[in-house]
Amino acid sequence: MIDIRYLEPTRLEEALEILAHYGEEAHALAGGTFLALLLKNSLIAPRALVSLHRIPGLKTVAEQPGEGLRLGAMVTHREVEKNPLIRLRYPLLSQTYAQVANVRIRNQATVGGGLVDADYASDPTASLSALGARVHTWGLQGERLIPVQEFVTGHYETVLQPGELVTEVLIPPLPTQARSLYLKFRSRSSEDRPCASVAAVVALDGEGRCRDLRVVVGAVADRPQMQDELAEAVQGQRLTPELIREIAGEYAGKIRPISDLRGSAWYRERLIEVLVRRALTALVAPTASVSHGPQGEGTCE
Amino acid sequence: MIDDRQRVTGQISYVQDLALPSMLIGKILRSPYPHARLLRIETRAAEALRGVAAVLTRNDLLNSPHIDPIYGPQIKDQPVLALDRVRFVGEPVAAVAAEDAETAALALQSIEVDYEELPAVFDPVRAAEEKAPHVHEILHQVRLGTSAYFGLRPVAGTNICHHYRLRQGDLEEGFARADLVVEATFRTPAAQHVAMEPHAVLAAFQEGGKLLVYSPTQSPFNLRDLLAEMFHLPPDRVQVLVPTLGGSYGCKLFPRVEPIAAALAWQAGRPVKIVLDRPEEFVTLNRHPAVITIRLGVTHAGSILAKKVTAYWDTGAYADCGPGVAQKGGFSSVGPYRIPHVQVDSYCVYTNLPPNGAYRGYAVTQVAWASEAMMDEAALALGLDPLEFRLKNILRDGDQFATGEILRDVHFEECLKTAARQIDWQGTGFERTATAEGRLRGKGLSVILKGMTTPSRSEALIEIDEEGVVTLHTASVEIGQGVRTALSQIAALFLGLPYASIRVPDVDTSLTPFDTRTSSSRSTDIMGRAVGLAAQDLRRQLLEIAAPRLKASPQDLTLAGGLIHVVEAPARRLSLQEVVRQAGRGTLKGRGEFANTGGLDPETGRGIASSYWHQSAAGVEVEVDPETGQVWIVGCHAAVNAGRVVNRIAAELQTEGCIVMGLGSALFEEVCFDAGQVINPNLSDYMIPSFLDIPPKLGFTLLEQPGAHPHGLGETALPVIPAAVGNAVADAMGVRIRDLPITPEKVLRALKAPPTGEAGAEEEEP
Repeated sequence: MIDIRYLEPTRLEEALEILAHYGEEAHALAGGTFLALLLKNSLIAPRALVSLHRIPGLKTVAEQPGEGLRLGAMVTHREVEKNPLIRLRYPLLSQTYAQVANVRIRNQATVGGGLVDADYASDPTASLSALGARVHTWGLQGERLIPVQEFVTGHYETVLQPGELVTEVLIPPLPTQARSLYLKFRSRSSEDRPCASVAAVVALDGEGRCRDLRVVVGAVADRPQMQDELAEAVQGQRLTPELIREIAGEYAGKIRPISDLRGSAWYRERLIEVLVRRALTALVAPTASVSHGPQGEGTCE
Repeated sequence: MIDDRQRVTGQISYVQDLALPSMLIGKILRSPYPHARLLRIETRAAEALRGVAAVLTRNDLLNSPHIDPIYGPQIKDQPVLALDRVRFVGEPVAAVAAEDAETAALALQSIEVDYEELPAVFDPVRAAEEKAPHVHEILHQVRLGTSAYFGLRPVAGTNICHHYRLRQGDLEEGFARADLVVEATFRTPAAQHVAMEPHAVLAAFQEGGKLLVYSPTQSPFNLRDLLAEMFHLPPDRVQVLVPTLGGSYGCKLFPRVEPIAAALAWQAGRPVKIVLDRPEEFVTLNRHPAVITIRLGVTHAGSILAKKVTAYWDTGAYADCGPGVAQKGGFSSVGPYRIPHVQVDSYCVYTNLPPNGAYRGYAVTQVAWASEAMMDEAALALGLDPLEFRLKNILRDGDQFATGEILRDVHFEECLKTAARQIDWQGTGFERTATAEGRLRGKGLSVILKGMTTPSRSEALIEIDEEGVVTLHTASVEIGQGVRTALSQIAALFLGLPYASIRVPDVDTSLTPFDTRTSSSRSTDIMGRAVGLAAQDLRRQLLEIAAPRLKASPQDLTLAGGLIHVVEAPARRLSLQEVVRQAGRGTLKGRGEFANTGGLDPETGRGIASSYWHQSAAGVEVEVDPETGQVWIVGCHAAVNAGRVVNRIAAELQTEGCIVMGLGSALFEEVCFDAGQVINPNLSDYMIPSFLDIPPKLGFTLLEQPGAHPHGLGETALPVIPAAVGNAVADAMGVRIRDLPITPEKVLRALKAPPTGEAGAEEEEP
């Protein structure tokens, strides 16, 4: 008989102790949208499932002056999509989470769960990378703060150790007057994961010169792809159509995309160029409907 | 719909919800190889597990005089479990019945099987070659199954299990006289039906050796006869019960899992239930991949003189109804056009893929994808408006089809013109300027004919008991398409009753009268006629009994609101219950039977292919992003000949469902294989349309004619959709995608490719 113990600890320490006790034979259960697939397909056979639903504090959505946004690991995608504070202050997040799968999944799936799954075609990871988010983890050995780009190490792989839990994600404040945009390209159904996606943040100075540029391409490799040197190189320059074309071309040329059922490497290379160009073009347009930022009016489509 | 409340409140019991006392759960061990000799199967460890009641392998089947281990609806070619070799990844090799699903799953893991791999073939064109690996060794000794209703022509020494030929006129002469000849090859991939309810079956051998089977089958009587043959029982010793199906779209047309469940129940001596999981659905039955080459000869003025079709249908490792698909696809590939010289060669070919079979649209989706694309390519080459070119050649009432039959009740022109009007078709005058976002715009049309199973037969029985309760016994199965409601409405019309008051019990082959099957959109039409006749028979009896009591002649009486009254004096009346009681004969029974007749000559393919032809057309408008290849369906309209609509809501839902399913096939649905193994056997990796994929403008027209007979609508609007989308995309881009689905990547590749790959157009010497 297959026998899985279902446990519902009410304190973080208790959850960590249970996880330590079972070692690799326990799995933490958040929204369960991914875990249920693994279980159904016999890809995992845990002895215990440790539900995090009853642990207080994991559903926090809070902004602290100067520190940015704290997003509890158990906050659902739907909450990120709908939360007025996030919509106003971090519209890139609400825009991104709103495009994941369908509303039934979004009501269930959680911020922490999505990060830990580390599916290469996850929508949020690209946007969290663009925002410079850090993952807060706890284990019996203590806590860690890990930048999202370092958290995901490969296909379905993260730096999370057995017995460790993600408790929250910390998102630093956006630069003033920053604009951001998430472009998702689906090659199949509207509920599909992206074939390629771009999360971009741009801040211009009063003269229209680039103060800050972050472009992250998602779903084209084992983890989100960003070209930091390129972003630094264009500091202080005007993002003219020619420069945007150059940046887009650089991204397409430097990333080595994968092939899967959603598209070949050949196709993804072309998509990267188009999506990066379109995202940046939209962000520097004077009347961009995507315009937003801490001081902005926070419109999102 | 009569069962709408039960449906939405979860009150309907599907087969997977049923249980019998001491029931076991069955699970299936499947082959990991596409083609391999089966060497050793070791089951002792599985048998020793606590809770395991039976382990079934080839040894049990081969050593029993009670079981014929080979079955198949049209060709007896499929073993209940692999005997000497496996022929596809996912083929059942062993089965276990245990007290619960977990134990059964555990038992499967402890079965050891040794294989010796054999060369495999996955492409129907390659498989048709003589030197290809043979999927089945002896092909010239075809044993016909219980559902073969036409002559089979296997090609000895090859994997071709049926070659449908159609010959009309003189093809050479037709092409010689043509001003222009165009030719191209088109491909359609496997697709999954994705019925919400998977295959499920509950089988039990009862006292005295009677076999009881609950199955969501579309063919209760075929299933009964097949199982009777398999267990050497007279048909009345097999009882098939069919609760409401949770969708099928063709995947439950013929037996798939029933033989395994029945054999397990026989082995265990206890009832066994098997419910497949989603990945198993993908190796149980899919839509036929097809490779179709069309050669079309036309005059400068736009008349089609000659058409040559060569079609290869990949039926997978076992034929299922593949021969029927090749046959219907064969004659349907001519299209609804007058063409004097026709040659069709349609091959049903075995490969080492999972079996392929009936799928909503039954071969017409594949042939329309090829044929209707060629119509546009020919029109383009001739410089003619695709609509005008079609109308110049379209079949009209009284025309002769390529099979030789004279067509009546013909409305292709009306369908086509309606679809064109609804998308504001402007022909060659359409302004193809890009949209503000830089998207290319295009429009496309398509029109099809689709046969209905011929010959076939339906019987109906309507009873009224002494309580006045009316019961309709019909073997048309409820799949969610609303057939019970439609048939109740037809009966109610003659009996003057609210249709919802008529009981329609589940099909039980020991009680319900015969029907060929619920397929090919035939039930509202053919069973509808049988139900109408049965209702009239009962009505006649009721009026004859009431007449002397109301002191009137039967023709002076009528039925309304559950009462019989004198037309001229409504106060002189009797309730139906009073009439039945006063007759003193117990329950009264009205019977009706209707059969459509015809058939095709196996040599020439000519004769009566279909007693009625389903007819539809579609118009589609698209926008294409030239940088990503993404296709947006801006508008989509299907026009379908309905004759007379019986239940408007059901008819509309069927048509909408067809369109949406067609869009899935057009844009992204494809079962993908790697060396014969399905690599997207789940709904994360195999996409079907969601509500957000439905275009902003989606419409349909149900064409009706006064006094017309109702026609089935279950599939008619589907096959036109991928073809019309393909034509619209080609119109927008100026290049054509010839392989379904039309993915953004294929579009971008076509746009970036140098302008070759056009249909090979040859100018003929005058």
